[in-house]
Amino acid sequence: MRKSLPIALLLAASTTLFALSQQDQQEKPLDPFEEAMKQRQQYLQNFGILPGDLFASQGEELFYAKRGPKEKSLESCDFGLGPGKLEGAYARLPRYFPDTRKVEDLETRIVGCMERIQGFRPEEIKRDEVVALTTFVASKSSKAKMEVRPQHPAEIAMYTLGRELWYTRAGPRDMSCAICHDSYAGKRVRLSPVMSPKQGLGSEWPAYRFEEDRMYTFENRIQFCYTSVGIPAPDFYSQPQIALTMYILAEASKAGHSFQELPFFTR
Amino acid sequence: MKQKAILIGVLAFLGLTTSQSGPFKARLESAVHSGGESYAQVLLSQDPAQQLCTQYRNQLPSALIPQFLQGQKALIRYPKTGKLLGDWQNGEKVFTDPKRGNCYACHQGDPKQLAYGTMGPSLTGYGSRGTSEGVLRYTYEKIYNSWAYVPCSLMYRGGVHGLFTPEETADLVAFLLDPHSPINQR
Repeated sequence: MRKSLPIALLLAASTTLFALSQQDQQEKPLDPFEEAMKQRQQYLQNFGILPGDLFASQGEELFYAKRGPKEKSLESCDFGLGPGKLEGAYARLPRYFPDTRKVEDLETRIVGCMERIQGFRPEEIKRDEVVALTTFVASKSSKAKMEVRPQHPAEIAMYTLGRELWYTRAGPRDMSCAICHDSYAGKRVRLSPVMSPKQGLGSEWPAYRFEEDRMYTFENRIQFCYTSVGIPAPDFYSQPQIALTMYILAEASKAGHSFQELPFFTR
Repeated sequence: MKQKAILIGVLAFLGLTTSQSGPFKARLESAVHSGGESYAQVLLSQDPAQQLCTQYRNQLPSALIPQFLQGQKALIRYPKTGKLLGDWQNGEKVFTDPKRGNCYACHQGDPKQLAYGTMGPSLTGYGSRGTSEGVLRYTYEKIYNSWAYVPCSLMYRGGVHGLFTPEETADLVAFLLDPHSPINQR
């Protein structure tokens, strides 16, 4: 029942809702959180479901379907708590995996499992499917306490790498993550409030962004940040992505934060 | 002579205690390359000032500051006419354009514009400072290269990076200081 609601229809409707909201925004800009809550309410009233949940159910279908050259499901994929154990797995990622001898975030792990278990070649793996699968697996850690605590030497190395990238000032706008997300956390860029890891940065992804009409994973979010300060974004599943994710989520874990309701709904 | 030797000693000491060791640097570079060539190209071509701000986490040791400020001041270019007060209407375009000034990301300006950021101080009413030579020069230089005044500040060096020309910088100065500019209408 849930799964049969066509995403395209819902997304088309969302554009209309957004256009409506833009109209009243010209008079007085709404607080972005109030605005998101208002949009969320409208979705629930009109459709009885949030777009993020549709991505999660699409991901669920993909997860249990026998796919790829090896015609296997992803049920034997180990996200760190044992094969097929999904509850709370996202809250501890990125982490070191002995089988690949690599530190992986959720997205990298999913891609790796699609290659090893299902037999896909890297170029056959569709980003849309990875986003849906990420949304589904992350939804099993909705509201979970963040538990990213680097211990293995490879995890500590990845954390240190992420910290260095966090402070690296570069590009035509002399930016680094830290200059906004630490030094000026709590202030706004235009209307958007900026959070630090200590304030729980990272706790809301994957999230559906109604302004962009798209599902954003944490890697999408990191790409968006780089692009908006004039630096070409690092590729998906690359070391800078995993390192920054490790650093941000480890800092948020230290501060004792929990994830939002995942998939989150945001501006 | 002796002073110079002490300064070099201090710089070497600071360098040794905070700079990244060789193996870490190599690992960082290889990780950055895995992010793709266009990403790596930008991250690995920091200018010396960006490198220092990264190395010291935006808090330069005081021994380095005079030289840093001097180096940044030397990067400032001025309009050929020498006029630091340009056309406020063009200044407003540069101020607003996300690809050039993008100033509303952090500053309040025209009081009618409600979607402004709060990371920088409000510039509404900036013109109350008048247009003395000192105000003009400070405003021009701060916009062109903010690091010539505050090392490693959040405000990017728009003129240095060519986000706007010296003439457009003078236009931005006018947008801030001209009594007819909406910034100065209350």
